[in-house]
Amino acid sequence: MRGPGHPALEATTTPFKEISLSRMKDLLLKGLPPEQRAKGALVLLAIVGVLILAKPFNLIPDFLDELPQHTYQSSINKEIQEIKRTELVPIGAALEWTFYYLRDDLHVSVVTRFFSTSLKALVDVVHNILSGGRKGFGLDAPPWSALLVIALTLGYALKGWRLSLLGGGTVCYFAIFGLWTYAMTTLAYLAVAVPISIIIGLFLGIWCYKKKSVEVSILPILSVAQTMPHFAYLIAVVVFFGIGHQTGVIATIIFAVPPMVRLTLLGLQTISPEIVEAGKMAGCTSRQLLFRVQLPSARNEIMIGINQVIMQCLAMVVIAAFIGADGLGFRLLHKLIALKLGECVEIGFAIVLLALVLDGLSKAWAEKKRDYRANLPFYRRYKYSILLVVLVAIAYILASYFPILNKIPRDLDITYAKSWDGFIDWTVVNWQTRDFRYIMLVHILTPLRDALLFMPFIAIMVLVAGVGLLLGGYYSALLTLGFLLFIALAGWWDRAMITLYMVLFSTFICIVVGIPLGLWSAMREKRARTALFWCDTFQTFPSFIYIIPAIMLFRVNDFTAIMAVVAYAMVPAVRYTVEGLKNIPPELHEAVTMAGCNKRQRLLQLQLPVALPHIMLGVNQTVMFAFSMVIIAAFVGTIDLGQSIFKALSETALGKGVTLGLCVSFMALTVDHLVVRWARERRRLLGLD
Amino acid sequence: MNTTSLQPVIRCQTLYKIFGITSDQLQKDSQGLIDPSYRDRQGVVTAVDNVSLDVSDGELLVVMGLSGSGKSTLVRCLSRLIEPTSGSIEIEGNDLLAMSEKELIELRRNKMGMVFQNFALLPHKTVLENIAFPLQMRGMKRAEFVERAMKMIALVGLDEKENSFPRELSGGQQQRVGIARSLAVEPDIWFLDEPFSALDPLIRKEMQDEFLRLQSMLKKTIVFITHDFDEALKLADRIAIMYHGNIEQIGRPEDIVLNPATEYVAKFTSDVPREKVLTAGSVMDERKEQEALASKSVRIDDLVETIAEYVLGQSIPVPVVDAQDQIVGVLHQARMLEILFHERAGPSGS
Amino acid sequence: MSRKFTKTLGAMVAGTMLAFGASTGQAGTTTAALGDVDDPIIIPVHNWSSQIAMSHAVGQLLEKIGYTVEYTTTDSQAVYEALRVGDVTLELEVWEGSFATAFNAALDKGGILDAGTHDAVTREEWWLPDFTIAKCPGLPDWEALNACAEMFARPDSGGKGVYVDGPVEWLHDLDRIEALGMNFIQIHAGGAAALWAELESAAANDEAVVVFNWSPNFTDALYGGAFVEFPAFHDRCKTDASWGINPNMTSDCGSPAGGYLKKAAWDGMPRKWPAAYKALTRINFTTNMVGTMAMFVDVDEMEHADAAARWIEENEEVWSAWLYASQ
Repeated sequence: MRGPGHPALEATTTPFKEISLSRMKDLLLKGLPPEQRAKGALVLLAIVGVLILAKPFNLIPDFLDELPQHTYQSSINKEIQEIKRTELVPIGAALEWTFYYLRDDLHVSVVTRFFSTSLKALVDVVHNILSGGRKGFGLDAPPWSALLVIALTLGYALKGWRLSLLGGGTVCYFAIFGLWTYAMTTLAYLAVAVPISIIIGLFLGIWCYKKKSVEVSILPILSVAQTMPHFAYLIAVVVFFGIGHQTGVIATIIFAVPPMVRLTLLGLQTISPEIVEAGKMAGCTSRQLLFRVQLPSARNEIMIGINQVIMQCLAMVVIAAFIGADGLGFRLLHKLIALKLGECVEIGFAIVLLALVLDGLSKAWAEKKRDYRANLPFYRRYKYSILLVVLVAIAYILASYFPILNKIPRDLDITYAKSWDGFIDWTVVNWQTRDFRYIMLVHILTPLRDALLFMPFIAIMVLVAGVGLLLGGYYSALLTLGFLLFIALAGWWDRAMITLYMVLFSTFICIVVGIPLGLWSAMREKRARTALFWCDTFQTFPSFIYIIPAIMLFRVNDFTAIMAVVAYAMVPAVRYTVEGLKNIPPELHEAVTMAGCNKRQRLLQLQLPVALPHIMLGVNQTVMFAFSMVIIAAFVGTIDLGQSIFKALSETALGKGVTLGLCVSFMALTVDHLVVRWARERRRLLGLD
Repeated sequence: MNTTSLQPVIRCQTLYKIFGITSDQLQKDSQGLIDPSYRDRQGVVTAVDNVSLDVSDGELLVVMGLSGSGKSTLVRCLSRLIEPTSGSIEIEGNDLLAMSEKELIELRRNKMGMVFQNFALLPHKTVLENIAFPLQMRGMKRAEFVERAMKMIALVGLDEKENSFPRELSGGQQQRVGIARSLAVEPDIWFLDEPFSALDPLIRKEMQDEFLRLQSMLKKTIVFITHDFDEALKLADRIAIMYHGNIEQIGRPEDIVLNPATEYVAKFTSDVPREKVLTAGSVMDERKEQEALASKSVRIDDLVETIAEYVLGQSIPVPVVDAQDQIVGVLHQARMLEILFHERAGPSGS
Repeated sequence: MSRKFTKTLGAMVAGTMLAFGASTGQAGTTTAALGDVDDPIIIPVHNWSSQIAMSHAVGQLLEKIGYTVEYTTTDSQAVYEALRVGDVTLELEVWEGSFATAFNAALDKGGILDAGTHDAVTREEWWLPDFTIAKCPGLPDWEALNACAEMFARPDSGGKGVYVDGPVEWLHDLDRIEALGMNFIQIHAGGAAALWAELESAAANDEAVVVFNWSPNFTDALYGGAFVEFPAFHDRCKTDASWGINPNMTSDCGSPAGGYLKKAAWDGMPRKWPAAYKALTRINFTTNMVGTMAMFVDVDEMEHADAAARWIEENEEVWSAWLYASQ
């Protein structure tokens, strides 16, 4: 029985803090009560219907139908050459001016340049240690066998033989398939980007925890950073930080920090208040309290955060190559453009292996326990360190006698790329997709897209804001309305609708395929584990690789882009379904068993309804993934926001790129806001929190 | 109220904790009393409402109340985990509320220990590390804190468990760790916040006995929070009953049972099996001259429960003797019947 | 992603040669004219083979005469902003089609120098692979192409032929189909990789395909092929509707046959590294040169730096003219 003002208590009741829920807004946060929602939805649909029907009769004034916007071209039918080439509010120009003002007049560049120079020096040093060269300390590259024994020993010392073999195997993979120098470069980036992201994330997370005002102002920025397409801020990074290795690292950090902040904050907020009190009663100073009580107690969340950082950094390996990050990603891009798909797959698996090893090592390290009582002699206490030193020394000595242990010759020419190439060619020839494409494009996709484009923008705004009103009250309605209004005023409405249509359809396919797949996987424990493993793998596999085979199968059109998006965005739909089902309390299962349910009844009456909120969060993630992949899918050839973003990138149009990025981000945040709100309420109603 | 002549270890006066309002928004009179009108304000919750109490050296004060009564807030004010809104707290004569952060840390490192309802063990530390934690905070040397912590482990009977993690222990074992941790710094003042509420009944009884055993050895000054009246009766030297942030009554267990001060207190006492609370001394009558007495006497601190059968079997009064074997009163068969069967419904007039 | 990088990639792979048709001169550079030899000259490398290998070759040459050189990987569009502020020192391949916009924008803003034009020229046009040319008599003539339009139809094109164009941002001629009255529609691939995927897929299925392409490019070696022969380009075609076969529209002609390949430099370079800048202005790639380099890398699978070293070894007369000419 603590007073209602007890801050930690409040935190435990709302673990998933959202963008900015200050007290005042809380009053606006209640949507229609569930029992009235059906009625509300009907009214809403009626209004939207009237708005749509009014259009053919010319009852909708132009300014409610379509605001002035930038031109676009269709790739399915013939080009639509619009004369309206402008936007209502010059948001892009304003942003551009602001950025250059910041850089040139306020001299923000002095700070950013300093940061980027320091980073460059850091990357150079780490890179030098890993793979030699003239930069950094000018050291010689260590023999590859030394890295092999380090990976083996580290894996064994932290966890056991399996991790040891995984680590060693990965090192061998790099060496055998001729990826050594690239992998070392990537490793050097990670060695800099991961710790910096973790430190920044921890710092911001702690700061948010201590100061509500910081939390309120930082979390929305993080949401945008997380949903903004990478390509949209690459230009900004180049403008402020220059180009070179360090720029890739910076872009990676921007992308990897937000989940770390969120999870740190979540971890700190969900610590039981008693633990903090116990720490205070133990006489902790506030520093001791933070480092010895609060952070360690939040370590589950923090470990998930670190894990996320590693995964995000690896996801950025390829994307950062666009602004000059060297390494595996750069190599992959190079091979992709030369259409050497087999080699791309080879490099892709190298990235996945690296992710698995780093993930495994970081988790194992965090779980390591110390034995206080053990009063061991020196050589036993430090047995692994000693073993490591001895083995590395042996590696160095052997390497000086046997050059093969020092440097793997590049012309080993071992590769399995050819079999992949053969497989892909075989698939292209044997899977005839012509009729399928015809049906999809002519009868489904094009009408869907045209319908969205036909709708007056006011109808869509009313629809979205109305849903917001139903689910989350005025706050949600105003927030989503603001997001959409930005897109309309910035002059990108039609392109945004095309992006939206691809995302919606991709999500639909992911749901139709992914959720049943998840249900099937979750039926057996072993199957579920296999499914989760493949989810991890697919998530780290560079998404670019999907695109080219998709084009070869389906040729250049929207459907191909959608297929590439589906391949990438399916993962969370499956993963969350599996997790949602696994997390159903066993006593509920026992209860329905005793009620005499058969399998179908169990699924429909118990599993689906109870797991639904979690599955919906998965669907939400799928939408987020789809938004990020649909931009990358502009490589196929689409006419959505993605295409404009690449155009902005090639024009170094800073303001335009950021504006387009914000458009994508705001659409994603609209969906995110509504789904999360609904799922949280459901969970509360079901008593699952 | 039962005060000793010695200076109390804990003295708190006109203590308030009001959530949703700051102290300078309040009107106080010369006695430090706050105008009750603040209660009507929206968003204001009064958790501790004008509480004054003393705890003397070696005394075990149990604060009893249902959830929402303000008892946990009170104990957190006494340890200054929560900043009181108004009032004063003195620890061994020193003003707790005037202490700087540094002094407060020193006080907690040396004088106070606290046990929590849900154990509040650090999940990433082993049993030994948890217990040694306050010692480490003091900057104690490794060898020293390991030794001290091992002693504590033995004290609470957790030998061989020192390298286990809290998640590997049962609830009762976890709370033993919590107790050992709170005692590791050898505090003079011991706060226990519903330490046994999260345990199942058998373990709870075992832990209560264990607690009494420890207290008989250690003689700490204790503030013990519980919502369980039986537990309060079993452990307390004195009981404070809280309701809506107020202390409704404070006194020895038998005083409260025999003389509930308010309706609210009476509700609790009505169901109490008095034979388990009342002692011979609290129910005896004065000895009349030349009265014939039973041959066997009972002691003044014997519980009614243990002597009832004997007294009821005697047709003449049974003598009650004190520690020096002096007869200080007598127990009649009729009085015993009255206590056991007639007086349960209401406050007694004795 | 820029078409440019794909383009250049193509170039290198194709292995057209570079003509170092430089002005031959006499050795005459002295150390005094070198400038700051301790601060490294930073050469950006992009993601296509010829550019990387040629950059290494030039870098190794500059080292030969005493400079310190560093390479940094950059985006081929963003590099112009970097050149302006001196983050990188020079750029060896400025393709007209892909980079003219960014290059000109940088020139306008200042800080960047046009360091001259290579002899190598480029062509961008509708392109047919050999396996398609064989299917329809009269190809690569555009009227023959139009007559065979049905061969190029797709399920969703409504019976019209489909021309796979490059990304919108590369392209200029959006109304040629209409101007020439062709029974075609155009769709836009999102990048060069998408174009090659279209080609590869068509090749595997033995289907007819017409795509946007340029020369020099590796696709010549892979599939063989020819540009579609449209009415020849003329200045008036773009501006004067009455010119050409369609009296009412402009754009009734093909694209110009040759685009430039330029070099660019940071405007601090002539002052800081005078001899290096001089050499840069004399550097001159020919189509053959680019092709040779691309062969080393993409056919012989050499590392870029090794390919550069080999090229230097075999072409001393070419590069000595760059380095030691004294005009």
